[in-house]
Amino acid sequence: MGAIDFKAKYTDAALGYVWSVVKPLAYFGVLWLVFAHLLRTANQTEDFTLFLLIGILLFLFFIDSVSTMLPSIVEGGATLRRLAFDPILIPLSASVAVGITFLANISAFVVFAVIQRIEPRVEWVFVVPLLGELYLFTIALGLLLSALYVRFRDVGQVWELVAQLLFFACAIFYPVGILPSWAQKVAFLNPFVQVMQDIRHVLLGGASGPYDVSAGNVYAGYGGRLVPIVIVALIVLAAFVFFRREGRYFAERL
Amino acid sequence: MATAIEVAGVSKTFQIPHEQRTFLREYFLHPFRRVTYERNQALKDVSFSVEEGEFFGVIGPNGSGKSTLLRILAGIYVPDRGAVRVRGLLSPFIELGVGFNPELNARDNIRINGTLAGLTKRQLERKFEEVLAFSELERFVDQKLKNYSSGMLVRLAYSLAIQIPFDVLLLDEVLAVGDEAFQEKCFATFDRFKEEGKTVVFVSHALGLVGRFCDRVLLLHEGAVRALGSPHEVTDLYRERILVA
Repeated sequence: MGAIDFKAKYTDAALGYVWSVVKPLAYFGVLWLVFAHLLRTANQTEDFTLFLLIGILLFLFFIDSVSTMLPSIVEGGATLRRLAFDPILIPLSASVAVGITFLANISAFVVFAVIQRIEPRVEWVFVVPLLGELYLFTIALGLLLSALYVRFRDVGQVWELVAQLLFFACAIFYPVGILPSWAQKVAFLNPFVQVMQDIRHVLLGGASGPYDVSAGNVYAGYGGRLVPIVIVALIVLAAFVFFRREGRYFAERL
Repeated sequence: MATAIEVAGVSKTFQIPHEQRTFLREYFLHPFRRVTYERNQALKDVSFSVEEGEFFGVIGPNGSGKSTLLRILAGIYVPDRGAVRVRGLLSPFIELGVGFNPELNARDNIRINGTLAGLTKRQLERKFEEVLAFSELERFVDQKLKNYSSGMLVRLAYSLAIQIPFDVLLLDEVLAVGDEAFQEKCFATFDRFKEEGKTVVFVSHALGLVGRFCDRVLLLHEGAVRALGSPHEVTDLYRERILVA
């Protein structure tokens, strides 16, 4: 189903699937030009190109997944009103298309890593559980919002705004370490920032510069990384409970 | 004979808000205004059972609760009170069929709906040609459904519904838009279902068809069971008491 959704998205486009890779790269190109060359903030991190690319790829995966899942139940209502099946399949299959795009985009990272002569290291395997955490967080948020959207259509507008704000708040194009310490505490409440920082640290090592901080540093003494991880767990729990409760009535509310 | 469908004391009420509040703004603007609901009791304490292999008709005027009943049987709606038990695999055909995605072609729509209905990948491959052959839409298989006519859609939907392995088939107004040739083809499948001992719940306004195919008929009026018996008696009662009044 997810594969068919992916196909449907690009079937009328001349370049087809190519867009799924071009979009994040174009995004990346613009930001890179602005920050690395025009504003010269790049010198705060040693390897700004890969630093930025990792941030953008993860951010687009996160935002695009939630944004596609959010309206999926309302849009898939026709099927829900005619067939009895677990409604969770609709947002999950919507997220698969974004997942495929993300996997394709990893190849972009590989290309840049080769150009920048980054040597693969054993620690890189930590990326897998980190991506797993991000995936859980993303899916849970998507499920929660898609179920809420059935009741309140404003969720769509609010999410659009939040997504814009998150782009600036998530330390995509600047190192989170330049923020004042209270702002870092706030930023790391977002599990996305924790995952992104940890992935940057794992992939780039010390090369990510003097401002390389993680949830472990910021919440040292309060549980470190556990703070965002507990938040992920709570959101996952809330999402499944809420989705199960609401899901029984989707068909009659659509 | 065993019971295929058991419906015991099922009630269902829909709350229809007088002003729809799908936007949070409305809660902020008028936080103290109570939303007044109109309660529409679609089904009132409905009980009946359908035997295995029975061709069971459901008739009643518009808004009498037929479609709600079918959706509850299909597990799409949850009843407020009462219980429904269906034995065996169920294939629903409701509101001109399954939920098709108009942006996709027939091929992908068959795959998606087949999967949702529980077909495995291998079953799907095997059934794919049969669905297409029955619908006689081979020429249009790669066309997007938004360019299909309603007659073509109903052909595709019915072909799909009967190719999914089932013991119980729910049919809601199947033949409303199909052409005569296709209707005859459907009648032939009805006869086949009867021979094979499949259970069919048939909702229709076409009293002639109800009389021709059904073993027993249930008459719904304003959400309650008015009569249950032989097609002849029940359709006569329906014509005299309800259609005339």
